[in-house]
Amino acid sequence: MIPFQFRLERRLERKWWYGVLTPVLSVVAALIAGGIFLSIEGFNPWTVYRELFEASFTTRFGFTDSVTLAIPLILTGLSAAVVFRMNIFNIGAEGQLYFGAIFGSWAGLALADGMPWVIGAMIVLVASAIGGALWAAPAALFKAFFGTSEIITTLMLTFIALFFMRYLIFGSDSYWRDPETTNFPQGRRVPIGARFPLWSDTRLHWGLVVVLLIVVLVWVMIRYTRVGFDMNVVGSSETSARYAGISAKRTVIVALLLSGGLAGLAGGAEVAGRAYALDPNGLELGLGFTGIVVAALARYNPFGVVVVAVFIAGLQNAGVALQGLPGDRVPVEVSLMLQGAILLFAIGGEVFSQNRLKITRTSRRTTTVDGAAEGATA
Amino acid sequence: MNDTAFILTLAASVGAAVPIALAALGELLSEKAGVLNLGVEGMMLIGAVTAFQVGDNSGNLWLAFVAGGLGGLVFSVIHAFLTVTLRANQIVSGLALVIFGTGLSTFIGKSIEGIPLEPEFDKIAWGPLADIPILGPILFDQDPVVYLTIAFAFAIAFYLNRTKNGLAVRSVGESPATADSMGVPVSAYRYAHVLAGGFFAGLAGSYLVLALLASWSQAGTTAGTGWIAVALVVFASWKPVAVLAGAFLFGFARRANFWLQSEGVDIPAEFLAMLPYVLTILVLVIWGIRSSGHSGAPAALGTPYVRDER
Repeated sequence: MIPFQFRLERRLERKWWYGVLTPVLSVVAALIAGGIFLSIEGFNPWTVYRELFEASFTTRFGFTDSVTLAIPLILTGLSAAVVFRMNIFNIGAEGQLYFGAIFGSWAGLALADGMPWVIGAMIVLVASAIGGALWAAPAALFKAFFGTSEIITTLMLTFIALFFMRYLIFGSDSYWRDPETTNFPQGRRVPIGARFPLWSDTRLHWGLVVVLLIVVLVWVMIRYTRVGFDMNVVGSSETSARYAGISAKRTVIVALLLSGGLAGLAGGAEVAGRAYALDPNGLELGLGFTGIVVAALARYNPFGVVVVAVFIAGLQNAGVALQGLPGDRVPVEVSLMLQGAILLFAIGGEVFSQNRLKITRTSRRTTTVDGAAEGATA
Repeated sequence: MNDTAFILTLAASVGAAVPIALAALGELLSEKAGVLNLGVEGMMLIGAVTAFQVGDNSGNLWLAFVAGGLGGLVFSVIHAFLTVTLRANQIVSGLALVIFGTGLSTFIGKSIEGIPLEPEFDKIAWGPLADIPILGPILFDQDPVVYLTIAFAFAIAFYLNRTKNGLAVRSVGESPATADSMGVPVSAYRYAHVLAGGFFAGLAGSYLVLALLASWSQAGTTAGTGWIAVALVVFASWKPVAVLAGAFLFGFARRANFWLQSEGVDIPAEFLAMLPYVLTILVLVIWGIRSSGHSGAPAALGTPYVRDER
């Protein structure tokens, strides 16, 4: 038998800075773990990290590219944050993003020609939000009325959306497909009126401003509106929601539609800001799944999502940017590996910020609560 | 009708079903103990890259196959530690496992990308049985892992439903507090079954690189198989033998376009590929309507067990 017993005890008091310290420490821990791994594989971790950092944060183009990639990530991060904090697990942001892109690019192609971008790109975004929300709707309704697990339905809907998108581009002569491209089918490019203008010579586009506005809106909604209040109550306890006269069904539906709409917006922002078409390859970056990582690291806080999204986007960006550098080529996958490691450490760290680890010396396993022999506390 | 194309497709579907079935059986074990592990895709990739490395170095196919399983097992320890010991959110942890596994496996596999692997599993031809029309090539002319997978499914069904340990597993998944009060070590059971799940997911990855693809490629190895396995467990309502049937259906959906093309049928391949996912949702919803949420899911699935808070 092990002479020690580990127990987690809920912290009665949580300092505010735990919320900042935990993600920072998990990043540091992941970098150390990654560094050990890099050295084993024969790379100099110091050089890799310096290049990684330079490629995505300290140079002008590196940084603007990171922020550009962060735009859809902020939206998918928000999409996860609004429902995960209620313990509703929409893991299908990826599919909702695809449908957002399908709807958004349709609106761009059909409506935005000749419009000023302020109107045209907005039409793309509105359409994409509708598309995303619609794709979340089956999961929302099935959960509210039949108690069907949204984890599975949203995931299944993601695959259906993926194949549908492929069908539109590869499998048919659809409205979205560029008729000029036969060997390597591509999406039709949306007119200028549906595109966000770029900032000077960078790839950064005006979608950033819109996205930051949306962040503030979501924060206000969660904090100060009736809907946000209902979501918080239903999230913490459906029983108290019932006593307070809040319809859990309606709130769950609203929350999932909102989450889907935000994910859809990410697809629309990609169409209007980067891809300019329904691009089944360019969209398959796993932005939807990465959004969950962003939300979890940001501890489901809308402003935290912005900071974390830029950081994660930088990591992702660095992987690609490092390929262009001369000398020792650092594999792209380092950034993905680091992301995963950061998230794993953050999950562990989150537990320690909420609980204290109690190590108790035991002679034998007993069924009574072991209050007698107190060991060290960490 | 082009019979041979159809039979060939069915025979190929069996092979395509094997990794799905193996991974789903592992996920089933983990979920029966109450731990949802969405990281199947990650564990499969780790298994695949381990199997390839070992196969490439040793040339021994079976050694590589088992090594892949062990790779998946070692990797699943992360999930077990985070969710059972630290009681972290199982969904977030599983997703982290997918991301970490994808990154780690491609990083390790960088040097072996695209290299073909020589040895292959020899098919077992069951003498005259293999010559039976239609059924022969489908059932009696497959590689040994196919039969092993079928055996695993029945063994797991027997283990869960007919043995004392199996009863303990189910009780841990349904009501850990009750199991605990009966003296069942909840954490130990959960660890063991998450690890078993990792082992099977690793085997699934092994089979992908050793038998189906015969090479390791950065992105194309699993192509969502792990996620299908997660869905399949639900589709099969947590029944091991139903997993086999479901895996065949999913495998067929992945191979059917070959047959449809030869038939000149005009159903787009994409819609056919959607079918299993649509079916899974339908099955879930119908189960939800019929028995108000009782789809066969372990009642404590996804919830960490805390003794003190009951």
